[in-house]
Amino acid sequence: MRLKSLVFGLGICLNISAYAADPIKIGIPVGLSGANSVVAPSMVQAAELAVAEINAKGGVIGRPLQLEIADDGSGAQGAQRAYDSLVFQKEVDGIVAMETTAARNAGLPIVNRGRVPLIYTSFYEGRSCSPWMYINAWVPEQQVEPIVDQFMSEYDAKKFFLIGSDYAFGRGMLKFTREYVESKGGTVVGESYLPIEGSDWTAIISQLRSANPDALITSTSGGAPNVTLTRQLRSAGVDIPYGNYAIDEGTAKSMGGDAEGVYLAASYISSLDTPANREFLQAIKDKFGDDAETPHELSVPLYDGIYAYAAAVEKAGSTEPSAVIDALSEVTVEGPRGAIKMDKQRHAALTMYLGKVASDGSVEVVKSFKNVDPGEQCPQFAD
Amino acid sequence: MGSVIFDILTTAGILFVVASGLMIILGVMKLLNFAHGAFLTAGGYAAYLTGAAGISPWFSVPLAGIVGIVFGLLVERTIIRPLYNRPLDAILATWGLGIVISQIFALTFGRGVQFAPSPLSGTIEVLGIEYSAYRLAVSAIAVLLAIALIALLSLTRFGLNARAVIVNENLARGLGIDSTRVRAITFGLGAGLACAAGALITPLLSVDPNMGLPWLVNSFMLVLISGVSFPSLLLASLVLGGTQVLISTFISPILGGMTIVVLAAMILRLNPKGFSRA
Repeated sequence: MRLKSLVFGLGICLNISAYAADPIKIGIPVGLSGANSVVAPSMVQAAELAVAEINAKGGVIGRPLQLEIADDGSGAQGAQRAYDSLVFQKEVDGIVAMETTAARNAGLPIVNRGRVPLIYTSFYEGRSCSPWMYINAWVPEQQVEPIVDQFMSEYDAKKFFLIGSDYAFGRGMLKFTREYVESKGGTVVGESYLPIEGSDWTAIISQLRSANPDALITSTSGGAPNVTLTRQLRSAGVDIPYGNYAIDEGTAKSMGGDAEGVYLAASYISSLDTPANREFLQAIKDKFGDDAETPHELSVPLYDGIYAYAAAVEKAGSTEPSAVIDALSEVTVEGPRGAIKMDKQRHAALTMYLGKVASDGSVEVVKSFKNVDPGEQCPQFAD
Repeated sequence: MGSVIFDILTTAGILFVVASGLMIILGVMKLLNFAHGAFLTAGGYAAYLTGAAGISPWFSVPLAGIVGIVFGLLVERTIIRPLYNRPLDAILATWGLGIVISQIFALTFGRGVQFAPSPLSGTIEVLGIEYSAYRLAVSAIAVLLAIALIALLSLTRFGLNARAVIVNENLARGLGIDSTRVRAITFGLGAGLACAAGALITPLLSVDPNMGLPWLVNSFMLVLISGVSFPSLLLASLVLGGTQVLISTFISPILGGMTIVVLAAMILRLNPKGFSRA
């Protein structure tokens, strides 16, 4: 009897200590410094909110979630250090990452070696495949179609001009755009790039004007290159339909009049009028008060990604990496963007919204495109 | 084709405005001012604050110039003057100052991108070509500035003293010219020109803590090949800026981005004095 209660007591002790000492660790490599530092605060808030909500409901398989945030410096070198420390020192169970393509490419070999499930939550140029990675944000196939279709049907555009920053994402997006435009019977009358930090678009704008296209699509890096291009286009009097892959709601708002009429396509727009989104916006406001950052296209997928990891662990019944990887394609997350399931060759079909910037800088939803398929991304993972 | 000519002229105008502050400091003080980029950034933020305060954007340039002169005089007195006999240390000090200034902007305004309103929007038609009104205005200002600076150096007492200091500082001092005062005024003037230039180019760009950096590199190249003379700086801006526009337009904007640096190196290789005797 005494022995039995002793064993029982010991069991409880072990159990409690196991619970307290053994949280599920989720690594978040994020650009706290460098180019992504502008958007990083909203990422961290989205991650903290997701973890707090899940823990308030009792965690996952009886264990709480714990965040390990590491600075990737928005680039390859920083990402190497961040992934090394997350995978081999902090020994995280899973990683949810919103970061640049360079940072992801630097992190992937480390993830593969450490066998850690990675959910990448940034839109990107597509076709990045790893047995340990899932992606819940958009790829060119999902972004390009709404804008090009709109220009062709609404404005009867045939001749397109493409402008980008000279890096993987800029070139990847425009290569796909060119193929898509040509497959729809249009022509690309010009395609020009500036180095990634470049902000003097004078010569390219002259090329654009002499090519006299019906519509313009740009894919620059975010921040200064994007806004300088838009301002210089406006000051040169360019007023053809203008689709911009790099603009987000915050940038549009701060640019005010200069961004008016610019088209963008996104899987999340903060003005979405759905119960899930209203609830999410309220939760951010309640948790962070005056410091709350407006959530956007980059922070919301991160929030969804943490829920996806939690759901996969719940379904697998453990954090065993290969079981979680198998489960990730079977779970559906109901988030602010709607229901999302990463079952398309490690990517997800997404509802895309075509938005147009109004004169006060706010983004109005013009059209929505239900469950746009990501297409052939990683055929080796097709089931 | 016509718009390419306008591109060349306006690009040259912008380059001249941006580089003139650096040149006057280098000429009189023999000091490469590495804080030039930060001064340009300061002008950008001055334009942003002017816009945010609801003041007409036309005033942002003179306001930025005044702020720059006051700040320049202060920096000269506290940081540069004690280092006059240690020219290398003085250059390092301006470099450090540049880093400190841009970090202060990052802490105050954040790393994000800000905007200054443009005093002129849209295009006007000149010689049958629609062209950006503000770029043309900047070029006109550049020409006026060049005339004013040449007049300052060749028609005023300060100009005479400054030219004496440029040619031979010891001799000038021996003749009773207060070279310390000339240096102080020059640094103030250079900083003021840099800030005003920053405010002037901002409506075409956006403001962030590092906006001055790419301009710093191009300004150096221009000043290195032009020597200490405003007419030759104007010529250098026209030749290098023009080549940049031509290469960007007809070959590739990516190569265009490197044109000024590469061309400046080639010119210095062929003629170490650059354009200063041209």
